[in-house]
Amino acid sequence: MLHYIVRRILQAIVVMLIVMIFTFSLPYFQQGGILAPAYAILGAQATPARVAAWAAQHGMNHPYLVRLWQYVSQIVFHGNLGTSYKQNMSVWSVISVFVPRTVWLALSSLVLTVIIAIPMGMYQAVKRNSTFDYAATGVAFILYAMPSFLLCLLVLDAFGFHWPHLPASPPSGVAPWAMFTDPVGFILPVLSLTLLSVAGLSRFMRGTVLDVLVQDYVRTARAKGCSNRRILFRHAFRNALGPIVTILGLSIPALFGGALIIEDVFNYQGLGIETVNAANNYDVPVILGITVLITLTTLLGNLLADLALGVINPRLRLEAAK
Amino acid sequence: MSTVTEAAPTSAADVIVPLWRQRLRIFFHNKLAIASVVYLVLVAAFCYLLPIFHPTNQTNQAATFNVAWNAPPSAAHWLGTDSSGFDELGRIAYGGEYSLALGFLAGIITIVVGTAYGMISGFIGGVTDSVMMRLLDAFLSIPYLFLLIALISIFKRSTVLLILIIGLTGWWGNARIIRGDAMTIRELEYSQAARSMGAGKLRIIRRHVYPNSISNIVTVATFSVADAILFLSALGFLGLGIVAPQTDWGTMLQQGTTQLQNGYWWEIFPVAGVFILVVVAINYIGDALRDVFEVRLIER
Repeated sequence: MLHYIVRRILQAIVVMLIVMIFTFSLPYFQQGGILAPAYAILGAQATPARVAAWAAQHGMNHPYLVRLWQYVSQIVFHGNLGTSYKQNMSVWSVISVFVPRTVWLALSSLVLTVIIAIPMGMYQAVKRNSTFDYAATGVAFILYAMPSFLLCLLVLDAFGFHWPHLPASPPSGVAPWAMFTDPVGFILPVLSLTLLSVAGLSRFMRGTVLDVLVQDYVRTARAKGCSNRRILFRHAFRNALGPIVTILGLSIPALFGGALIIEDVFNYQGLGIETVNAANNYDVPVILGITVLITLTTLLGNLLADLALGVINPRLRLEAAK
Repeated sequence: MSTVTEAAPTSAADVIVPLWRQRLRIFFHNKLAIASVVYLVLVAAFCYLLPIFHPTNQTNQAATFNVAWNAPPSAAHWLGTDSSGFDELGRIAYGGEYSLALGFLAGIITIVVGTAYGMISGFIGGVTDSVMMRLLDAFLSIPYLFLLIALISIFKRSTVLLILIIGLTGWWGNARIIRGDAMTIRELEYSQAARSMGAGKLRIIRRHVYPNSISNIVTVATFSVADAILFLSALGFLGLGIVAPQTDWGTMLQQGTTQLQNGYWWEIFPVAGVFILVVVAINYIGDALRDVFEVRLIER
């Protein structure tokens, strides 16, 4: 088990390094090289001297490899994601106010998704081809094919304007404690993000449980007189949990992607909306910093999923011990 | 035509229905898929032919000053006008030209690159495969939408660039699926036979691996086009899509959203409806194609 964990952690480190090299190298390929943002920040008429000063200020007068080493070591040893071009402060101080709000949005809807989708998928699998199953499948298919922003728009239209009993956007400040002082404002964004992920996860859960229910060990359990409830929770659920945990780990990037759209629609001050703002301001370090941060979160999530798999699945644990 | 059919029934080989025709038959049995194809053809025809038969001003902002902005549907403007005074019906067609073309081209790029990468990785195997797969792991753990935004803000925004960005970053999932295929096929008897007869790696890929994984490639390609259209629209919706005066469905939806609370439904629901159905239709076609290539469904 220890060997397995160590190997997974080493893999995650390698992946993180590749991502950092990739994001760092991207600006070198733009038209005009890495100095191009200088003109977006200082204005098109900037004198060469000012551009050179700006480049020196952001450490751009060093060769590629030196800069790469500085970039990686800054992140790894100091947690420093770089300096914003536009706001003259570190990327972390720009984005840190948004982090708790996005984490809150993503985490609460992830928990809600699990609470709703897993029982729903199991129920659909047990009562397959029932009216409820067909209805849920139909709704899930529409939700799945619909672009996420359109769903948010419909939610906003319905609850924000036609039936205006819920606030259409969360408290507009960036105070992280707003989620406790004014929880009602977060209902619509969290609900929309949950709806988006429930569609996929409940479909997946239904398929997995259906697969498990036709296995030999379920038939054996039934033959020895196991009650349906016991079969469902001791055999089907336990065996379906593995794929679900894996898919949950893999769905983290999509979760943050969905959060980005939701933040944009509901004007929810978070990492997503900050990314869009930074993109409009050509503030590349902020975007790359957020991307690196979320990639790190994704890798940690995948790692957690892998560890959880080891706990859930004794076969994996034994195999890894060999 | 007729001479061929008259001469035919002498040899047994002519009685066998060709595989492609059996597959076509399975596809045509799927009513939903046929409806989807018809719908897509109609939408494409509408987008590309409407400007010819019913030309509307879509790019000249100065000419819109004698037109009512945000006007509800009327005889002159069947679907009203949008917040810039452009005719909404013509705008759906105009935006559709870009959404469909860009989505299609980007989807094609993702499948070409993904197939090449997956085949090479899966077929060669060993160290090459693990290096290529770790690279893929790295790419797949970057949140996609954030990466797209980063790329768009780094490079100058243009139509060609949007195709390239979506095309050159959308193939990671495809590569993984195709790699699985290539690995399976590599171990099958006919590949081994070819290898034992001295066939080179490239030949085996070209003559055996590629034709036998074409089913997955075609299916994945269909979903890739749907994904590309969706991501393009998401970018448009975030205000990072095609640059004005050009537009696409996502950008139109973004502009319509700001008018939603005024009740200007014609600026959002017609284009939303056309758009969602296009994505649903492409997904249905992908499902149907998967059935078509399912060997068990083919009569022998």
